[in-house]
Order: sequence, then structure tokens, then C-alpha cells
Amino acid sequence: MVIVKRKTLSLAERLYLPEVVRGLSITFRKLFQPKITRQYPEDPLPTTSVTRGQPRLVVKDDGNIACVSCGLCEAACPAYAITIDGHETDRSIEREPEEFQIDMLRCILCGFCEEACPKDAIFMSNELELADTTRSALVYDLERLKRPAAALAERMDYIKRINKRWQTSSST
Amino acid sequence: MNDLLILLIKASVIYGGLLGTAALMTLAERKFSAWMQYRIGPNRVGPFGLLQPLADGVKFIFKEEVVPDGANPWLFRMAPMMAAVPAMLTVAVVPFAGGDIVLFGQNFGQLSITDLDIGVLFMLAIGGLGVYGVILGGWSSNSKYSLLGGLRASAQMISYELSLILVVLSIVAMSGTLDLRGIVAEQTGTWLLLPAWNVFQQPLAFVLFVIATFAETNRHPFDFAECEPELVGGFHTEYSSMKFALFFLGEYCAMVVMACLTTVLFLGGPEVPYWADAPWFLQLVAFMVKAGIFLFLFIWVRWTLPRFRFDQLMHLGWKVFLPLALANLFLTGLLVSF
Repeated sequence: MVIVKRKTLSLAERLYLPEVVRGLSITFRKLFQPKITRQYPEDPLPTTSVTRGQPRLVVKDDGNIACVSCGLCEAACPAYAITIDGHETDRSIEREPEEFQIDMLRCILCGFCEEACPKDAIFMSNELELADTTRSALVYDLERLKRPAAALAERMDYIKRINKRWQTSSST
Repeated sequence: MNDLLILLIKASVIYGGLLGTAALMTLAERKFSAWMQYRIGPNRVGPFGLLQPLADGVKFIFKEEVVPDGANPWLFRMAPMMAAVPAMLTVAVVPFAGGDIVLFGQNFGQLSITDLDIGVLFMLAIGGLGVYGVILGGWSSNSKYSLLGGLRASAQMISYELSLILVVLSIVAMSGTLDLRGIVAEQTGTWLLLPAWNVFQQPLAFVLFVIATFAETNRHPFDFAECEPELVGGFHTEYSSMKFALFFLGEYCAMVVMACLTTVLFLGGPEVPYWADAPWFLQLVAFMVKAGIFLFLFIWVRWTLPRFRFDQLMHLGWKVFLPLALANLFLTGLLVSF
């Protein structure tokens, strides 16, 4: 059997009103506290290099896309979200994607494409917002996926650093 | 301009003010609750969210009206009106400012729709009718939650109206009139260097009155008619659309009216402290500030105190308030007559 000992209340506490005033003073002070609400669309949460957002394709500084349409990400994708159609170019890097589609309705944002890519051409960006009104609008094409290398630089550095650490630790 | 036109203008201004204040109160309620919880509150519709009540109103109008099976169709539709109309009616006798208003070379008389000799009685009588809306709404909904909410409202209303009226009686005994302007006039001047307001002369009555007001308007911590954790939504569980909104309009109007009544009875009404013949607009501002303090108190208490238990409410009403109010009336009577 549990015996709960009731606290004996003082007269002020039994009168209730002083305690009410105390409570009111607490809530009044809270009125002026800084607010913790984040005004989301205007003031989004900060992202870091660790943020694994939606996959995006790197456009190098010379204006060419880094992707050589090797198809490794397509093969690595567990959700079959990626479809690549490549063609040949007359540049020294002889191939580039003619069409590169990621079906964002299928994409599970796992980051396997980023890991599979041998050319540092696809990265998980810090873009998180994924909403539209039609299904077809959510199948992103090449133009929709292209991002300048500068926009993805932070994530690129991070992934390269992580990969290097993994390589050195496995070789020893 | 004839008298009828002047009356119409005054009535539309005062009712516009009342409904506007009630609408703003719904916004203030959300804003203050948000600030007390470190949140920002509605700020999307209009500057500082000021148009939020308007958006809410439009939304309510476009909602589907649901009348439950087995509900009494007439009473079910009448109850929201019964709740809203009495609350709005009582504002007719509130004296918002003393002195004649002269605007554009036209004398509009004093700022109140009418001055009744029995103003206090009128306010309490018509204001007390408001509970019929709650009871009828609860009963006609054909739902157990609504019925319990209505029952509680009626029980609570009777227990607290008694103390409320006894408290008002002691004020009436001091001023010797039921006329609200007479009660205001009795509070002008100073008393022991303080303004001669009843809040200083009758502090116990003031505390009792304010607390009874909370019970009377079904506000926290006495909102047993709603009581959402136990009764889903209480008397308005089955209500939707504008009928639901009318209940809330009634509740907020009742709050505004009760704040006005408290101001008149205890804070000298429109009197500017230490300045008995201030111009009418300053008196109006003074009245609004005083009533605003009570409106803020309504919100403030709601977001501070937890709800009572029903037996605690009854205990407080019958065993604490009633004896205290009677004792206060007795002492006031002794002081007045000797």
C-alpha cells in the first residue's frame, strides 16, 4: 500500500488568492520572454554539410556537367528513381547525359547515388522542400537538377573528407 | 437632427465598438496565450494578424451546418441566438462617458444608448438570460456531453449569480441608486487621497465580484460548460459553422460587457482620476483603459490557472462566496446606516 503524505498547506496557500497572484506574476513575466517560434518559410532552419537533402548534379566551373552518364548511380539506386540517357561529345571527356531524370516521388533520399558516383558529379544538396501539385512536376529533369559547383561545394568537401578517412582506415 | 437619428447613430457606434472589441478579443486571446508560451501567435493575416478575426468569420460562414439526428430543430437553432443577443443587449445602458458630446456643431447627448433608472438591474437580468442559450443548446443537441455541459452551466450560473448580485447590492447600498450614472457620480472625488472608487472602498466586494464574473461568463478557471477534457466541447459539442461562432461571439460580448460593468461599479466608470470634469473623449479613453485591464485579466487568468473541479466550484460558490457576500452586505449596511 502506498501512503501519500499530503503537504500541510499554510494559511496563504489555503486562501488560494496569494497563490493565484503568484501564478499570474509568472505568466506575466513570460509575456516578455524571447519567442522560440521559427517563422519557417521566411526563416528556415540552417543546414550544414551533413544535411542530406535532395540529389543534385554538379555543373563544373567551365560550364560543363560533371556527369559522364556511366549509370552507376542508376544501378545503385534502391528505389529505381534515376533514369539516365547518355550521348557522346567531342570534348576530351567524351560522354555526358542527354537526359537525366530523378523521380522525386520514388527517391528515398538515401544518398547511395552520391556514394556510387566515381566522378563527384551527384551530391545530396541542402535543398529540402519537396512539394508540388502534379506528379509529373515532381519528375525532375536535367535542367531542374543542375547546380553550379559553388552551391554544392560544402557538401563536396565534406564527402571527400569522409571518403578519405574511410580509405585510410581500411588500408591500415 | 431628430432624436431617433441621434439614437441610431449612437447605437450603431456602440454596437460596432462592442462587436469589434469582441472580435479583437478572439485575436488577443490567441496572441497573449502565444506570448505566454514563448510563441508568436497568428501573424499571417494582415499586419500583426489583425485581420485574423475577419478571416475566421468568413471561414465560419462557409462551414457546413450540421444538425444532429434527434436534435430539437427549433431550439437547436435558437440557442446560439439566445446566447449572443442578451450579452449584446446589456451594453445599451453602459455609460461610456459623462458630459454631452458635441461633434460637428451637433449635440449628441451623453455617450450611452440609454440611461435607465434601473441600469444595474437591467444588466444583471438580461445578462443572466445568456445562460438559457447555453442550457438550451446543451439540451437540444441530443448528446450526453452537451447535456452535461448545459447542466453544469445552469448550476454554476445559479450559484454565482447569487453572490454576484449580493455583492452588487452592497455597492447599490453605498450609492443609494440602481442607476449606473448615479453609481459613477457617487465615486467621483477623492477618498483618503485615493480616487473615491469602490475598489478602494469595497475591496472584498471587488475581489468577490471579479471572481464571480469569471464564473458568470463561463471563463477559465470556471468554464465547466465547455470543459473540453471531460465533455469534448460541452454545450457546443454538436454545433458547427456560424452557430458555433455565435456562441463564442456571445461569450466574448459577455466578457466585454462584464468588464464594462466592473469598471462602472468599482473603478468609477469613465472618471479620469483626480480630474472630475475632463472632456468626454478623455473620459472615454479612461473607460476603455479600465475595461481593457479587465479584458486582459480574463485572458491572463485563462492561460494561468487550471480548471477547478466541479465540486470545488460548488464549494467555493456556496460555502465561501455566499457567506462572504452576505457579511459584506451586512457590514456595508451597518456603515451606511450609522
